[in-house]
Amino acid sequence: MKAKMLATRVALPVLAIAAVSAQAHAADFDWMKFKGKTVTFLANNNPVSQALLTYKADFEKLTGMTLKVDGYQEQQMRQRLVTVMNANSDEVDVYMTLPSREGEQFAAAGWYADLTAMAKNDVAKDYDSAGLSQALLKAATFGGKLTSMPMNLEGPIFYYRTDIFKKCGLEAPKTIKDVEAAAEKIKTCDSSVTPFVSRGLKPAVAYTFSNMLHNIGGTYIANGKSNLCSAKGKEALDTYSRLLRDFGPPGVVNYSFQQISALYRSGRAAMAFESSNELRTVMDGGARLKDTGLLPFPAGEAGQVPTTIGWGMAVSSHSKQPDAAWYFVQWATSPEVQKKMALQGIAPPRPSVANDPEYRKWIDEEPVRKEWQAALDVLATKGSSEVGYPIVANPQSREFIGQAVQDLILKQKPIDQACADADKALDALIALN
Amino acid sequence: MSDTAAPLTQDRRKLEMAALSAPAVFFTVAMIAFPVVYTIWLGFQTFSSTGKQSFAGLANYSKLISDYEFWHGLWITIALFVLSLVLQLVFGVWLALVLFNAKRLPGIVRSLFISPFMMPPVVAGMMWLVILDPSLGAANYILQSFGLPPSDWLASPTWVIPTVALIDSWQWTPYVALIVLGGLQSLPPSVYEAAQIDGASPFKTFQRITLPLLLPTIVTAAILRSVDLLRFFDIIYITTQGGPGNASNTLNIYGFRVGFEFFNIGYASALMLTLTAIVFGAVLAFNRLRGAVAW
Repeated sequence: MKAKMLATRVALPVLAIAAVSAQAHAADFDWMKFKGKTVTFLANNNPVSQALLTYKADFEKLTGMTLKVDGYQEQQMRQRLVTVMNANSDEVDVYMTLPSREGEQFAAAGWYADLTAMAKNDVAKDYDSAGLSQALLKAATFGGKLTSMPMNLEGPIFYYRTDIFKKCGLEAPKTIKDVEAAAEKIKTCDSSVTPFVSRGLKPAVAYTFSNMLHNIGGTYIANGKSNLCSAKGKEALDTYSRLLRDFGPPGVVNYSFQQISALYRSGRAAMAFESSNELRTVMDGGARLKDTGLLPFPAGEAGQVPTTIGWGMAVSSHSKQPDAAWYFVQWATSPEVQKKMALQGIAPPRPSVANDPEYRKWIDEEPVRKEWQAALDVLATKGSSEVGYPIVANPQSREFIGQAVQDLILKQKPIDQACADADKALDALIALN
Repeated sequence: MSDTAAPLTQDRRKLEMAALSAPAVFFTVAMIAFPVVYTIWLGFQTFSSTGKQSFAGLANYSKLISDYEFWHGLWITIALFVLSLVLQLVFGVWLALVLFNAKRLPGIVRSLFISPFMMPPVVAGMMWLVILDPSLGAANYILQSFGLPPSDWLASPTWVIPTVALIDSWQWTPYVALIVLGGLQSLPPSVYEAAQIDGASPFKTFQRITLPLLLPTIVTAAILRSVDLLRFFDIIYITTQGGPGNASNTLNIYGFRVGFEFFNIGYASALMLTLTAIVFGAVLAFNRLRGAVAW
């Protein structure tokens, strides 16, 4: 009792001081503090940054700073980042990062500035750090250091053609087995369409395959060793590759999001397993607006464990002006900007924005948007950010997962050999951790 | 007096010229030497996947010997090099002969013939990726409209290298043709007049006169294309990224991925220096050949 009272007596003043201090920080906060400075932003030229940069002028007006944007496609952006960071150069202040992919690696290399203190102390009154998705903040925290602030929430979801399902007498699939059965039926019922499509390109496979593996109940690592040859691992490899081999489009081994979206949008695929970010591309032109249903990927033996990731904004550890860079990160991940981005179809990483009346009104305008948001709600609550192996060499681990899947799609190896070869290579990577 | 003054002035002039050109020479040498020396130095370093760097001696080079991907990449590089070079030289000479003999061909048609190599390889790669898409592309539509079976093109481990070689040949055959056309225009007409008087057939004239006289030009074109073909990168990167599996994983693509995707800059440098040595070897061999066929 005494201890409890002591704790209360100590804790209350500490909390009060912290609250007053935070208010003081918020009150002191001045967006014009770094007026005249130039912040360089290395951007991945994807829908997330495109939506954000629509408001570039607003940032410059608000802060008096100049925002210099260095934009590239995803792989080229990483190539540029690696060059800049290896040279310890300060040319980049802020960059986009995928914590689920390169987080461990960049954190271990010391390429992220620690944002913990800035996110706590140096924030505007309405920033609301606590309002950001806690799961995404956790996924961006390495060794106790907050390395990036979430820009969006995304993950692979299941797109299906309601008209084809109706024509073939099918109902929306509830399980992975239902997906396979539907593909089988569509193959005979409507031979003009590809029954199922998902990623087959080697480095891209892990994004969708991870969802399948987790739904089936598999894990990438067990007892410190690669686990693809476990019963669940083999079942996931076999199911994923069989769906693509037997029901996918010809040449699926070269398919990533561009090809999948193009195929589905053109009406030549009945089911597609692709990123929630692709909604805008898929609906472009309006042909798929009224005949598409959206779901999280159907359940396996372990239920639904969707993949949930998000792009983050990180401050370079080599930046000479991390405080000014933080102002840009803060503005870009603020509730106000994220609401504007959400109205452009970028899923917000803030529950408060997702529940905003204006955003809800936009969602309610189209049934397909409602289904999209419902799927995202499942991703936000049940999602796992594990895409590929949770090790420092995560990008390389994705190669071996992709190789095993391609070996099976192309029938180049029996499953035991494909998973054993992958496990051998992956064990070597795990050992480097 | 004047005998000693003249050399002094000349020496001074030489000194002035050297001093004036020194910055440009230094800059040029530094621009070439720095990346090479830096890459050689990197080749002796090892980088962990977290970017930590340490001296590795010859470890990166000894790793090459036992690295299956290196030997596989070398094989793919050579296969692509041979196939593409043969296609481009054969069709380049043929196209040059067509353009040389069709003197009334309008300038715009000539320009169209040689236009593909003016297109950036990335654009060419994107364009062919769409054309060769097994589901949506025009190539399979054309094949099927002639009753032929569709192909997986870039998605087939068997056909990916011939398909990439075809794309590259589509783009660069006109370049070879342009070089050969220059060679054809410089051939002495007297030799052809003599052949005509002797009653040589067009084929014999080509076989015995045109081809031997053109050989130095063809070898020059081969040297220029060899350098590019051994460093083949952009079209593969755009279309297959080394796949399916590792069926189009050339040395250059492999080195790029080791360096920029897996962050092992030391081993990637060793791979790239080995590729540079191979390119140098090929150029030296072709240079010797050019010396042997010169007239």
